Amino acid sequence: MAEQVIEIRDLHKAFGSHEVLKGIDFTASKGEVVCIIGSSGSGKSTLLRCINLLENPDKGEIRYHGKDILTDETVNMPQYHAKVGMVFQQFNLFGNMNVLENCMTGQMKVLGRSREESMENAMKYLRKVGMEAYVGAKPRQLSGGPKQRVAIARTLAMDPEVILFDEPTSALDPEMVGEVLAVMQNLAQEGMTMLVVTHEMGFARAVASKVVFMDQGVIAEEGTPDEVLGSPKHERLQSFLRSML
Amino acid sequence: MPTTFFGWVGFLLEQYGGLFLSGTGMTLLIALTGTIFGFAIGLLVAIVRTIEIPRGMGLFKRALRKIAHMLIAVYIQIFRGTPMIVQAMVIYYGSMQYLGIDMERTVAAILIISINTGAYMAEIIRGGIISVDKGQFEAAHAIGMTHWQTMTTVVLPQAIRNILPSVGNELIVNIKDSSVLNVISVSELFFQAKSAAGTYYKYFEVFFIIAVIYLILTVTVSRILRFVEKKMDGPDNYVICGSQSDSRSEIIVSKEQEKEVDRQWQSK
Repeated sequence: MAEQVIEIRDLHKAFGSHEVLKGIDFTASKGEVVCIIGSSGSGKSTLLRCINLLENPDKGEIRYHGKDILTDETVNMPQYHAKVGMVFQQFNLFGNMNVLENCMTGQMKVLGRSREESMENAMKYLRKVGMEAYVGAKPRQLSGGPKQRVAIARTLAMDPEVILFDEPTSALDPEMVGEVLAVMQNLAQEGMTMLVVTHEMGFARAVASKVVFMDQGVIAEEGTPDEVLGSPKHERLQSFLRSML
Repeated sequence: MPTTFFGWVGFLLEQYGGLFLSGTGMTLLIALTGTIFGFAIGLLVAIVRTIEIPRGMGLFKRALRKIAHMLIAVYIQIFRGTPMIVQAMVIYYGSMQYLGIDMERTVAAILIISINTGAYMAEIIRGGIISVDKGQFEAAHAIGMTHWQTMTTVVLPQAIRNILPSVGNELIVNIKDSSVLNVISVSELFFQAKSAAGTYYKYFEVFFIIAVIYLILTVTVSRILRFVEKKMDGPDNYVICGSQSDSRSEIIVSKEQEKEVDRQWQSK
């Protein structure tokens, strides 16, 4: 069995009196692509945001290579953030920097890399996502698809071990969804461990090694794409999949 | 003695030109340094106010933060809520009578404008920070940057760009409103004008000249600020490096062309 990278035990999170996560247990092994599906409000994004500590969970464990990042003092937070990258629905590129600087600043500030090394690394990943020609462009000069590709390059430039994708194509024009999914598929084939919150069932079917269906703060069903998408057992999953058609 | 209006203007300029010039210099000095210090005060206050409570922050630190927030609120309320002319009197004469500090008038003037401007700047800068969308904070935290790194490299550069028009406004207001500091006898433009006008009882002529000087100052400053804004925004177009036929070539594209290039990339 492959090494477990992320392991979550009994994770709880509430916003005020509204309980969003009601005890999540789940693991992701090295090289796995886990697609998390479910209707809005089911807690998918909150789960990802908890793993990245953009939200503080109320209870439970988030283990990264066996160490609980919520309690273990030996975990270096900036390093953890670098190792567990995140790609957002709204891209969130730094507006005051051009494409190249967006991909360099984290390397220099967080990883302490030199300017030259950061630039070389940034260019490597910008080439990978097909954005190397746009190094001088500011985010506001790009449209959605290119922006998201730059955001992926920015995350890759930190040399992460896991990437969390929070609905990476939901804010895109339909014509640009394909190019971003292609980049992601490419990453998956290279063995990147990925947790993807998505509504792209085609992507989940083709790329995921595991599909997780969340409903009302719990994992209602999980398994291979064939099991979960092909022969759903849970009634809510069946109706969810019907509504996606 | 001159007999016409313009005769008087010429005469007064000849007589008091040097005085007006030194007054202009003083006004500019007070307004500029006051705005810069005020900006620094505002920046500090705004950063303190945006610090979020990290996990497991101690009770003592929480209390400290609470007290800091209260002091800031009181400061802003008082200095936005009273006229600067009154603040000048209270600070200058108060410190002289009760603290025994006889401030150099110029220093007092700069101090008063700085504190006053700081109260406004604090709100302006807070607005600027809020104007940077929250996603960028999150993205910066998500790649491991600290609050300080996020602020200095991502948020403040954009916040400051966004508030530049308001900051410019403050500078222009300060150029004009520093005139109220004549009540503590700072030798700024208005004060100099008063003494010049009194000699020949030519109030209209002198203050006509002064009005023109103020106008020249404010128009010049707003032009300079507009230029700085444009500079900060950078060009609307950008350069694409390396075409497929020649990697050394550079292509300049605008937003519309960029969409076209993007479509081509997709179809590959």
